[in-house]
Amino acid sequence: MGQSKFTISGTVKQKSTGETLIGVTVVVVEKPNVGVITNEYGFYSISLPKGNYTLRFSYVGYKQETVPVKLDADARVSIHLSDESKLQEVVIRAKKDDDNLTKATMGTEVLNMKEAAKLPVIFGEKDLVKTIQLMPGIKSNGEGSNGFSVRGGATDQNLILLDEAPVYNASHLLGFFSSFNSDAIKDATIIKGNSPAQYGGRLSSVLDVKMKEGNSKDYQVSGGLGLISSRLTVEGPIQKEKSSFMISGRRTYADLFARLSSDMKDVKLYFYDLNAKANWAINSKNKLYFSGYFGKDVFSVSSLFGSDWGNTTATVRWNSILSSKLFSNTSFIYSNYDFNVGFKTDASEINYNSHIKDLNLKQDFTWYANANNTVRIGFNIIHHTITPTKAGGTDIVSVKNSRKGLENAVYVSNSWKVFDKLNIDYGLRFSLYNVLGGSTYNIYKDNHLIDSVILADGKIGKNYYNLEPRISASYQLNNSASIKIGYARNTQNLHLMSNSTGGSPTDAWIGNSYNIKPEVADQYSIGFSKNLYNNAFELNTEAYYKTMSNQIDYRDGADINTVPDIESELLFGKGRAYGLEILLKKKKGRLTGWLGYTLSKTERQISGINNNQWYNAKQDRTHDISIVGVYTVSERWTLSGTFIYNTGNAVTFPTGKYVLNDQVIYQYGARNADRMPATHRLDISATYERPSRRRWQGSWSFGLYNIYGRRNPFAITFKENKDNPQKIDAVQTSLFQWVPSITYNFKF
Amino acid sequence: MKMKNIVNILFTGLLFIFMGCEKVIDLNYKSNPSRIIIQGNVTNEAGPYYVKITKSIGLKDTGSYPTIDDAVVTISDDAGNSDTLSTLGHGSYRTNHLTGVEGRTYTLRVQAGDQTYTAQSTMPQRVRFDSIKVETDLITGETEYSFIPIFTDPVVKGNNYRFVLWLNDSLINQQLVLNDEVRNGVLNTVRLEINDDDFDFKPGDLVTLQMQCIDKNVALYYRTLALISDSGPGGGTTPNNPPNNITNGALGLFSAHTVERKSVRVP
Repeated sequence: MGQSKFTISGTVKQKSTGETLIGVTVVVVEKPNVGVITNEYGFYSISLPKGNYTLRFSYVGYKQETVPVKLDADARVSIHLSDESKLQEVVIRAKKDDDNLTKATMGTEVLNMKEAAKLPVIFGEKDLVKTIQLMPGIKSNGEGSNGFSVRGGATDQNLILLDEAPVYNASHLLGFFSSFNSDAIKDATIIKGNSPAQYGGRLSSVLDVKMKEGNSKDYQVSGGLGLISSRLTVEGPIQKEKSSFMISGRRTYADLFARLSSDMKDVKLYFYDLNAKANWAINSKNKLYFSGYFGKDVFSVSSLFGSDWGNTTATVRWNSILSSKLFSNTSFIYSNYDFNVGFKTDASEINYNSHIKDLNLKQDFTWYANANNTVRIGFNIIHHTITPTKAGGTDIVSVKNSRKGLENAVYVSNSWKVFDKLNIDYGLRFSLYNVLGGSTYNIYKDNHLIDSVILADGKIGKNYYNLEPRISASYQLNNSASIKIGYARNTQNLHLMSNSTGGSPTDAWIGNSYNIKPEVADQYSIGFSKNLYNNAFELNTEAYYKTMSNQIDYRDGADINTVPDIESELLFGKGRAYGLEILLKKKKGRLTGWLGYTLSKTERQISGINNNQWYNAKQDRTHDISIVGVYTVSERWTLSGTFIYNTGNAVTFPTGKYVLNDQVIYQYGARNADRMPATHRLDISATYERPSRRRWQGSWSFGLYNIYGRRNPFAITFKENKDNPQKIDAVQTSLFQWVPSITYNFKF
Repeated sequence: MKMKNIVNILFTGLLFIFMGCEKVIDLNYKSNPSRIIIQGNVTNEAGPYYVKITKSIGLKDTGSYPTIDDAVVTISDDAGNSDTLSTLGHGSYRTNHLTGVEGRTYTLRVQAGDQTYTAQSTMPQRVRFDSIKVETDLITGETEYSFIPIFTDPVVKGNNYRFVLWLNDSLINQQLVLNDEVRNGVLNTVRLEINDDDFDFKPGDLVTLQMQCIDKNVALYYRTLALISDSGPGGGTTPNNPPNNITNGALGLFSAHTVERKSVRVP
């Protein structure tokens, strides 16, 4: 009491490029228990009594810096960190050697793009989503697929953000590639259900992807040539140290090769994407960021069939340091997802089209109240315009209106250091969804129409609100171990409706209505972390139990292409998921990497399906193992390998057969009571970095996917044997055996 | 040939590029509870009409299907007619005097052992089947044939159609259904979604289609079967025994429908 406190604040950047650094640990050497981490914009703030201190800035992969501070007034300490020598790199970044012990955050992994790039990937196309799928608790939807399931959640239950803008379909080319061009990405974080209160809107996870800001010191061109795509990025200062830009493009050309053969010459199949970002420091306290993404897939066959879909996002953000303790960020976000498909015959033409458009305003304040409390408070308003799959063309009569909804949220959270060993993050999010007018809403009971509401434009039809408490705590047992517990409630107001066992581009988003209520998930988790051998190894384990309500599925025989209102075809129910995740990381030495294991169960109960009994969700897989290793042979050569094993998806095989009107029909038993065969695979790659010539830096990557040629199951179909129609054959389709790749990357 | 098929062709092409492959595998199947299967049809053609009662067998079994020959089977209509069927053995039963009339609702009653099964189906008004139009498209170097059944859907909404396909007089085991949900009261221009992965249409082949006007529940049964068997990148819907119109847990279907056949030679 009585002793006046002052605040040290500032921004941490990378020396060579001027990019801000996220998650840098800032520790007061004289008071080792006082420390903070830089936020999404590289900003930090610490309050201390008057005195002389030394600040230590540390960040894995960068040289540690110490700065003496004589504190007798509020001070600004902004600093640039430079890259460390290559041999000490790790793949998954730990912010501080033992950060995993002290932070209350649970179920969170941060990906370092530079390091993820060294892992083997199919076609040599580095992909952050594929790397994330190697973490425990995160499962790929299938071989080559970019869809993923987190802790038993469905694919649409992941909030995928690109510079804060939601991306509704984060995949390209039948799902084999993600929308994220690695060259344009700075950082990606995935949070498995225990997200802080500033995130909301999806049940299972948040994948928060941030684009590079652009080199503010020097012009730089980088790019790569691969087997199926090429990339080019240009970045540089607009006004030195004040403003910079980054623009990055990528296009595949697999179809150009395919078109060389006369059979495929009418076929178009490619995607491209463009990322652009610019930032401008108005003054030392205010900074503006503009970022945009545009991606498109095209798939057509002469004039018979044409299809294209794509995402567009644009974000304008204004960072403002209101005081040394108060940081503000305001974001305006636009996001649009469009899907078109058309068929043409001599006599007729049919087009299907769906889209979803968002206008989004976010305000977030971070208040560095004192050394032990960091408060975040803010709100978010999203205006959705959702057009369901709409058919048009010659003699089609289908009138489907766009629907509008308003998704609102206010939140507050606090990161509280209770005492030395105990950290608690707690928060509350209040979400409100307004069903907006301009459309007709039907009300169904047991799939029968009982009422219809014609809602005028500008009217609010129905309101759904939810309180979402979130809390997690860590208690440090000793120097090398800690336990954590957490609880979080998440809700979801937009739902992706899929009629097929796999995903399909025709899957359409739909908002809450009079029948569809917000999905709600409650997740309880407990964790134990231990660091071994002087923090060279890190062991993180977490167990979770999650319940989900208002889950949606189609009833049997629902034909989503022709039914006038798909809401008449919906069934509702609940879900539960539980599991154990173990992650052992090796962070130091020439060999780094991790071993991940997940043991889990995911079930659903939907009235009207499986006689209302619980059944395995499609994504239920008992065991999931991944082993990732990166070995630095020399300054030039790096070798890496990944091995995965997982139990097959839960599926329904026929059990019997009968004959009806001379046609054989299969008989089925309980839903998803069968298993696909297990999937396992080993991939390897080698990267050679050529010694740089003047400014030109080049590197070669060689990869081999599925080195032992395992025929992993992609699909199993049942057919009558050609020679003996009485016999039914199970035919397994496999996709990728031994796929080699070669990529050349350059920078100057 | 609609989207599923085109996507399928391309996907298969892609798989080829990516070295995809197919092989027959051995799976362990869950044991199969043998269920009673009832198949009954009443059409607008002259009788007799037949009901067949069998039992399902395991997927791997190749033997014959057990039959039920001692059931009491009756079919009645909403015009006050009732017919008790005669047993023919091998699970078959035959009507004696019933006539199928458009617009009438028929009720099937099967008494087998101590269990009773009933089903109802209404025969829709016949819609005239004019002809089959064949379209050819060149896709990835191969000629793909599409077949469009030509008929004019009535103005009244709610019509459902089923097509049974024979290629050179051999029955193709596929479920082809259309309805008038998106294009009501117009001349049909929609192609049948025939999956020709396992056979080829060649010039000169005889293609026969039987058009059936079916009621809503019968259509749901066949549509569910069709959705399950969809294959391709998205896969089909999760398979299940399709919802049918027979009570008491019997599988199979009772259908009162109109029939009309047309044939065409592949050009």
